[in-house]
Amino acid sequence: MAEDLNWAIGGEAGDGIDSTGKIFAQALSRAGRHVFTSKDFASRIRGGYTAYKIRTSVDEVQSVVDRLDILVALTQRTIDENLDELHEGSAIIYDGERSWEADIPEEMTAVDVPLKSLAEEAGGAIMRNVVALGAACEITGFDVEYLDESLEKRFGGKGSKIVENNKEAARLGQEYVQENYDLSHLGYDVETTDEDYVLLNGDEAIGMGALAAGCRFYAGYPITPATNVMEYLTGRIEEYGGHVVQAEDELSAINMALGAARAGARSMTATSGPGIDLMAETFGLVATSETPLVIVDVMRSGPSTGMPTKQEQGDLNMTLYGGHGEIPRFVITPTTISECFWKTVEAFNYAEKYQTPVYVVADLALAVTEQTFPPEAFDMDDVEIDRGKLVDDDEVDEWLDAQGRFRAHAVTDDGISPRAIPGTTDGAHMSTGLEHDELGRRTEDEDERVQQVDKRNRKVETAKENEEWDYREFGDADADNLVISWGSNEGALVEALEYLEEDGIDVRVISVPYIFPRPDLTEEIEAADDTIVVECNATGQFADVIEHDALTRVKRINKYTGVRFKADELATEITDKLSEEVPAQ
Amino acid sequence: MSSDVRFTDFKSDKQPTWCPGCGDFGTMNGMMKGLAETGNDPDNTFVVAGIGCSGKIGTYMHSYALHGVHGRALPVGTGVKMARPDLEVMVAGGDGDGYSIGAGHFVHAVRRNVDMTYVVMDNRIYGLTKGQASPTSRSDFETSTTPEGPKQPPVNPLALALASGASFIAQSFSSDALRHQEIIEEAIEHDGFGFVNVFSPCVTFNDVDTYDYFRDSLVDLQEEGHDPNDYEAAKEVILDGDKEYQGVMYQDENSVPYHEQHGVTEDMSDIPEGAPEDAMDLVREFY
Repeated sequence: MAEDLNWAIGGEAGDGIDSTGKIFAQALSRAGRHVFTSKDFASRIRGGYTAYKIRTSVDEVQSVVDRLDILVALTQRTIDENLDELHEGSAIIYDGERSWEADIPEEMTAVDVPLKSLAEEAGGAIMRNVVALGAACEITGFDVEYLDESLEKRFGGKGSKIVENNKEAARLGQEYVQENYDLSHLGYDVETTDEDYVLLNGDEAIGMGALAAGCRFYAGYPITPATNVMEYLTGRIEEYGGHVVQAEDELSAINMALGAARAGARSMTATSGPGIDLMAETFGLVATSETPLVIVDVMRSGPSTGMPTKQEQGDLNMTLYGGHGEIPRFVITPTTISECFWKTVEAFNYAEKYQTPVYVVADLALAVTEQTFPPEAFDMDDVEIDRGKLVDDDEVDEWLDAQGRFRAHAVTDDGISPRAIPGTTDGAHMSTGLEHDELGRRTEDEDERVQQVDKRNRKVETAKENEEWDYREFGDADADNLVISWGSNEGALVEALEYLEEDGIDVRVISVPYIFPRPDLTEEIEAADDTIVVECNATGQFADVIEHDALTRVKRINKYTGVRFKADELATEITDKLSEEVPAQ
Repeated sequence: MSSDVRFTDFKSDKQPTWCPGCGDFGTMNGMMKGLAETGNDPDNTFVVAGIGCSGKIGTYMHSYALHGVHGRALPVGTGVKMARPDLEVMVAGGDGDGYSIGAGHFVHAVRRNVDMTYVVMDNRIYGLTKGQASPTSRSDFETSTTPEGPKQPPVNPLALALASGASFIAQSFSSDALRHQEIIEEAIEHDGFGFVNVFSPCVTFNDVDTYDYFRDSLVDLQEEGHDPNDYEAAKEVILDGDKEYQGVMYQDENSVPYHEQHGVTEDMSDIPEGAPEDAMDLVREFY
């Protein structure tokens, strides 16, 4: 198991928790350490408690654990909320001059630092969190100079004075602890390496994937936890001649994106469940008019407004089946933050090659987590762009009927018709949500209806044959125990394998990034004695699909508390589940 | 763009299924003539249509076109124009499409001032569903779903546009072919969102707002010497509930269309064959 350090800062919303945490995470990343961050919102009590947690190691880290080593507590509640994660060796940094009396369990090390006073000494009370970062550096043996670069990145726009003050604040915190405490018994010594890592979250990876893939138009309506995709693209897409527009609602957003796509742009919208509900209205039109469009759903807890800042994988059925009538579609579910990038690139290619809407379904745990990767994980030379059957002025001729009219919905063997974008000479045509003939004109003719339905569905069959709908695999390929998962659970599962191995339990993990089309897992399930499907929802939506495919029963691990799976928790659950009887057929 | 484009080039070979005498024939003719007269051709024109009798227009015209879902034609047109500023974009819909199910989009399309033309075929009735009240129906207009009339004031789309910050507001009558075409041309040539509400009578289900009614009551603003650049004068005619006007009510001389305001000028359909050359810079930002 990786030698890891778990650090957190917690306080009230508005205390600058996120930005302080990000500064520390960046500093660790720059020091060549892997970082995996998570955000904590109160789960037991309602209110303003919020925390930013960092798990860091020289080895790759891809999940959170139930252990906290260093805690910067701006409120008593931060301590109370985390009691079950704190341990004998934990150090808690707090400001004893503040009005609250810190109630810290005796076995833990209380590090009283006058955060506010030292910040004032450095130039302003607002920098008290940075003083705490300096204190944390001293406790963990992490050179305070590593903070400098991330402080410059964070405050550079506000002028060199502010940057220098912050650097000073960090040093005052570090020196205070050095002078007043001997904490060598805690034994924390953060090792650094020469590795260069980048640190980003899933929303950013999706946005970057879109830019790499040539996305030029984005329309969206702000919604947690997808807004960050839009914020990332804003200010960057323009560099490539693109544009982001904030629509009046999701109905408008998807229709704008549809319009841009019909005009020939690679186009995208992103939202969360409530927005997907609204977009369902136009989803069928996108498919029937055979428009290439990428729709991102960053899932959060539902139904209705649900728990907007909480994790859930509850939209599988909605994205797989949503919309009236029968709608051909692709549903892709990235399993890691770096895969958020690659699957977005793929999505644009599928959309154009098959002239079909493509859902990229991520989840809150991917969206708000920052994780380190070597930059090569996003090697732009590996980005391929396939625009499908886009025809130019010369190629249009092949697709005209006897009267010289463009057959935009021509019935072909592979189901894919030629695509002429506006401006293409002689390519003018209408597309419509009505059933239509090859020219795109309304029809209710029985034969034409069947031909068009079949041709649209044939595109999916073609894609099934021509593309690789494979899965990611971890653990022991020959194990009798099979665990299947989709979406963001992969990281915790991979780390759970280490706990299971310690207990002598062999497990094969299959992590599925494609829900439709999807890999057929029948053989894998038949080869295993036990199959467990892990997902963050109550009813087991993916487990239902798997049972349908393999015509068998599987065991299920479902979590719908609003909190993602943790590695140690999953290991225990898998162990327990393996001892249960297989459900009746 | 060829100079010898005739308006019939914008006509498809599909025969309209509108009722004989429907106002939409005249409305569409004016649109086609207006497009041809202003130097467009079918290959660089994008027509977006909504749902309802008006929505069929995409089928009867020849150009690049999308016939979308009910009420969302304006967002589609917005996306087309932003992605391809080189295209002429014309959005058509009815009073139900634009002022009822799509009213939210209307307000924001007006605010955005995207350089496109919006033609609403206003017949003050739901025709395709066989005669129910529309948002512009009179409050005492008896229909199958409002036997005693809607008992609500009709929406004043011109006032709604004005309140939303419109840069071009006009009204025409499908039967006054020449004036209708002139007004459409002015809307096309306007630098920004050119909004034209067209009285387009339903001969089957509306026996109140008829050809005769409009012929008898219409006042032509340009004949009256109305100055469309005069905001106060525009406000007066738009809020005048006693008369039906045709003509350009308001035009903002200083209108700055969306693409100029936001620097959206590129043809977004043109992209490289791989990731952009400097794309690794995007990754390095995350150091």
